[in-house]
Amino acid sequence: MAKVAAKLSNKRVKRQSTWQILAAVLVYAFLYLPLVIVVVYSFNDSRLNAEWVGFTLDWYRKLFANDEMLRAAGNSLIIALVSGAVSTVLGTMAGFALHRYKIRALQILVLTPIAIPEILVGVSLLIFFVMLNLTLGMLSVTLAHIAFSMGFVAIVVRSRLSGMDESLTEAARDCGATPWQAFRRVTLPLIMPGVVAGALMAFTLSIDDFVITFFTAGANTSTLPLQIYSMLKIAVTPEVNAVSTLLMALTLLLIVIASKLSPNAFRS
Amino acid sequence: MWHGALTPVTSWLKLFMAKSAEIAAANAGRNSASGKQSLSRWLISGPPLLYLIFFFAVPTLIMAFAAFRYPGDYGGLAPLFDESGALDLTLESFTPFFSDFVYTAIFLKSFLFAVITTLVCLLMAYPLALLIARSPQKWRSLLVLLVILPFWSNFLIRIYAWIIILGPQSALTRGVNAVLDVFGFEPVALLYSAFAVIVGLVYVHLPFMVLPLYANLEKHDPALLDAAQDLGANAWQRFWRVTFPLSLPGVYAGAALVFIPALGIFAVSDLLGGTGGIMIGNVIKQQFLDSRDWPFGSVLSIMLTVAALAAAGLAALMARPRRRANG
Amino acid sequence: MKKIFAVASLLLLAVSTATSAEAQNKLHLYNWNNYLAAETEQRFEAACKCQLVQSYYGDNEEMLAKLAAGAKGYDLIVPTGNALQSLIKQNALQPIDKSKLSNFKNLNPHYLNTDFDKGNQYSVPYAYTITLLGYNEQKMKELGVPVDSWAAIFDPAILAKIKGKVTVLDSANELMAAALKYLGYSVNDTDEKHWQEAKNVILKAKPYWAAFNGTSYIKGLTVGDIWLVHGYSSDIFQADIDAQKAGRKFRIRHALPKEGAAMSLDSLVIPKDAPRADLAHQFINLVLDGKNSAELTNMIGTGNPNSAALTYIKPEISKNPSIFPDAANAAKLEMLKDLNSKQRRALNRIWTEIRAK
Repeated sequence: MAKVAAKLSNKRVKRQSTWQILAAVLVYAFLYLPLVIVVVYSFNDSRLNAEWVGFTLDWYRKLFANDEMLRAAGNSLIIALVSGAVSTVLGTMAGFALHRYKIRALQILVLTPIAIPEILVGVSLLIFFVMLNLTLGMLSVTLAHIAFSMGFVAIVVRSRLSGMDESLTEAARDCGATPWQAFRRVTLPLIMPGVVAGALMAFTLSIDDFVITFFTAGANTSTLPLQIYSMLKIAVTPEVNAVSTLLMALTLLLIVIASKLSPNAFRS
Repeated sequence: MWHGALTPVTSWLKLFMAKSAEIAAANAGRNSASGKQSLSRWLISGPPLLYLIFFFAVPTLIMAFAAFRYPGDYGGLAPLFDESGALDLTLESFTPFFSDFVYTAIFLKSFLFAVITTLVCLLMAYPLALLIARSPQKWRSLLVLLVILPFWSNFLIRIYAWIIILGPQSALTRGVNAVLDVFGFEPVALLYSAFAVIVGLVYVHLPFMVLPLYANLEKHDPALLDAAQDLGANAWQRFWRVTFPLSLPGVYAGAALVFIPALGIFAVSDLLGGTGGIMIGNVIKQQFLDSRDWPFGSVLSIMLTVAALAAAGLAALMARPRRRANG
Repeated sequence: MKKIFAVASLLLLAVSTATSAEAQNKLHLYNWNNYLAAETEQRFEAACKCQLVQSYYGDNEEMLAKLAAGAKGYDLIVPTGNALQSLIKQNALQPIDKSKLSNFKNLNPHYLNTDFDKGNQYSVPYAYTITLLGYNEQKMKELGVPVDSWAAIFDPAILAKIKGKVTVLDSANELMAAALKYLGYSVNDTDEKHWQEAKNVILKAKPYWAAFNGTSYIKGLTVGDIWLVHGYSSDIFQADIDAQKAGRKFRIRHALPKEGAAMSLDSLVIPKDAPRADLAHQFINLVLDGKNSAELTNMIGTGNPNSAALTYIKPEISKNPSIFPDAANAAKLEMLKDLNSKQRRALNRIWTEIRAK
C-alpha cells in the first residue's frame, strides 16, 4: 500500500517546513544561552560571574590546583558511567518486560521513583544503607543512582517498543532463531535509539544529581554537585564554570570515542 | 471532504493493528503451551524487579512508615517502641495537612506550575524532536547530543546563569523594559517572579521531553505522510491527523517524565522565585532539612506521590480510549 | 558492545575497590565552606604528617539531617550553637580531652561556658558571626535610609524607598529572630502570640523584599542589584572586598541594629565514632594558637573568640564594631537556642504561611 502511494505521488512530502526548522533552531538557542554564559565567564577575569571584565586562564589554572574539585569531578564521572550503564541494561530489560508481560508490580515500581520527591528517596536510602552497615561512599551513591534512573530508561524503551512491528521478531523466530537471538538481532537494533536515549538520560541524571547524592555519599566521597552546592554560601567562583566547561568537553570526547567503538549504536 | 482523504490511512492503521492482534493471539497460544516462555519472562523482568524491590521499595516503605511515627525531639524519628514495648504510632502528623488550607493551596499551585511547564516543554520540544527525527541519519546522533550536552555541566551553574540573564541589569531585561517603556507600561522585573520560575522549570526539564518524543517520532514511516499528501491533506492536517496521533505514546512518556519531577522540585523556585510563594517541593525539603520533622515530611511526600501517580494514571487512561476511537 | 561491557566492569571494580581502601593517616573535617585558611591547613598537614580531608555543608540543618540519618566517618564537625545543643542532647559527641589542648587558655572566657555546653566538655569555640544588616553605603546615604535599626527591613515607610532592592535570609530561625528583636522580644522567645506578631511584621514587609536569599546576596550587593541585606557579618565583609576588587564606586558596610541581634558561635566538636580523635585533638590545638586563629579572621572577617589572636588580626577588622562589638553592644547579642519538635513544627507552619502568601 505504501509503495503504491509512493509511486503515485510525483513529489515527496517536504520533510521539514521552514517554520519548523526555525522553531527548532530557536529552541536550541534557548538551550545554549546559559551555557554560553557559563563557558564565556570561565575565562572572565572577575570573581563575580556578573559581567565581563577581561580574558584570563586563571580559573583553569586554579582548577587544576584544586585537588578537591578535581577529585569530585572524577567521582561524578565514574559514578555516572557505571550507574548509567547498569541503569540502561536493567531499564531496557524493565521496558521490555513492561511492554511484553505487563506485570503490574513492575509498572508501579518503575514509575514511583520518578514520582517520589528526591529527598524522601535520599533519606530512606541513607537509613537503609546504615541499617545494612554498608560503608557510605561511591558504591552507595552508585546504587542509589541506579535505583532512580532505571525508571527513566524503562519508560523511554517501552514507548519505543509500543508501536514497533512485532511481526519482524516473530518472523525471526519462525526462521529458527532462539528468543535471545531474535532479541539481539532484530528487536535490539530496532529499539536502539530508545535505549540510547534512555542511557543518555540516565547518565545526565547521575552526573547532575544533588539531593540523593547528598544523603548517600559518605565522609570520603564528594561529587561535583555536592562540591559546588557547598560553595554556595560564599559565591560561586568561576572555577566552577571552568570545571563545568571541562566536564562537558570531556563527556563529549567520551561520547565521540564510544561512537567510534560501536558506530551502530545510533542507527535504527 | 478530508475525512474521505484519510480513510486509506486509517484503514492501513486498522490493518496493522489487526495483524498485531493476530500475532499476539498466536503468541498467547504459544505462551501457554511452552514453559520456556515463563522462564524468559522471569529472566527478563526478574533483575530489574529485584533491584527495585531491594533498593527502592523497601527503603521507601520504611520512610513512608515514618509518617505514622512521632518526630524525634532533636530530629529524625522517635523510637519505634515506647517504654512499655508497644508500637508507638500516631496519625497526628496527618492533621496539619487536612486541617489547614495552606498546604493544599501550595499543592494546587505546584500542580499549576507543573502543568504549565509540561505544556511549554511540549511546545518547545516538538519542533526540536521533529527536526532530529527527520534529519539525515548521519546528523541525528550529533543533534541528540547537542540537546543533552548543556545538561552535563552543572545544574546550579545553569540556574545561576539564568539569574544573570534575567537580572535587572542584563541586556534582556533592559531590552524588554525599553520596549515596554515605548508602549507606556511599567518596567517589570524578570527575575524573582513566576515567569523566572517557569523559565527555569522548562529549561531543566526540556531534554526529558525531547528524548522520548524523538525516540517515537524516529520510527514513523515517511510513506504515511506521502500517502496523506496524495490524498489532499495539507501540512497542518498531515501533522495533526497523522504525525501527532502516532506520536502520542512519546508525548505521554515525555509528559510523565516532565510533569512528575516538576511537581517535586525545589531548587528552581528557591533560586529564581523571589518571595513569590514556594512550591510543595520546598515545603518537603524544609521538613527534612530545616525543622527536622520527618513524620510530617513523610506525610507530604506520600500525598505528593499519590497525586503524581494519580495524574500519571489518569493520563494513561486517557491515552487508551483515544486509540480505540481512531482504530 | 563488548568493549563497553569490559570498560563498565572495570569501572565497577574501580568503584568497589575505591570504597574498600581505608583511610590511613587522614583527618576528616566536616566544615562550612571556606572556613579554614589554606595556610593553616598546610601547617597542620606538615605538623601531623597526615592528610586533611574536608567535606562541606552550607547549613547546620543539612549537617544535622545527615548525622540524624546515620552518616559517619567524620573526625571533626563545626556546628553553630543551637546545632551543638542538639548534638549534645542526642549524645552524638565525645568529651574533649583538654589536657591535650595546651592552647585552650588562649580563649576569651566570654565565649566559654555557654548554655549549650557548660564547662566546654564537648566543644571548643572556633569563630563567630553576627546576623545583621549589610548595605550599599552610597545608596543608603543618597536615599536617607537609617541603617541603625531593624526598621530598615521591616518598616514599610522606610522600605518604600528601596522596594525590590532588599533581601532577607532564607531561614525561619534567623528572620523570626530579627523580627522578634524588632518587636523588643528575645530571639529565643517561644510564646505563640509573639510569633504571630512577628509573622505579621514579616508579612507586612514582604512585598517590598526582592527575595529570601541566604547564598547569593553577596553577589547581589557587589553587583549593585541589591542595596540592603539581612545577612551574616562574614559574608558582608566578603562583599566589600569583592566590590573593591571589581572597582565599584561604593563600599559595602555592615551595621549592628540598636535593638540587638543574633550571634552564631561555631565550635569544634568530635563525634563519638570519630576514627582519629587523636588527630582531631592535634588539629584543635593548632587552630587555638593565636596566629593560626587570626588567619581565618583575616581571610573572611569572622569574629574571633581567641584573645591571643587579637594581636595578629588586621586593625581594620579588629576595630570594626560590627565584628568585634564593644561591651554595650555585645550585651544585646543573643545566641539562638534549639527548639523541641513541637515548636519546630509550629515554626515551620508559620514559615510556610509566610512563604506561601
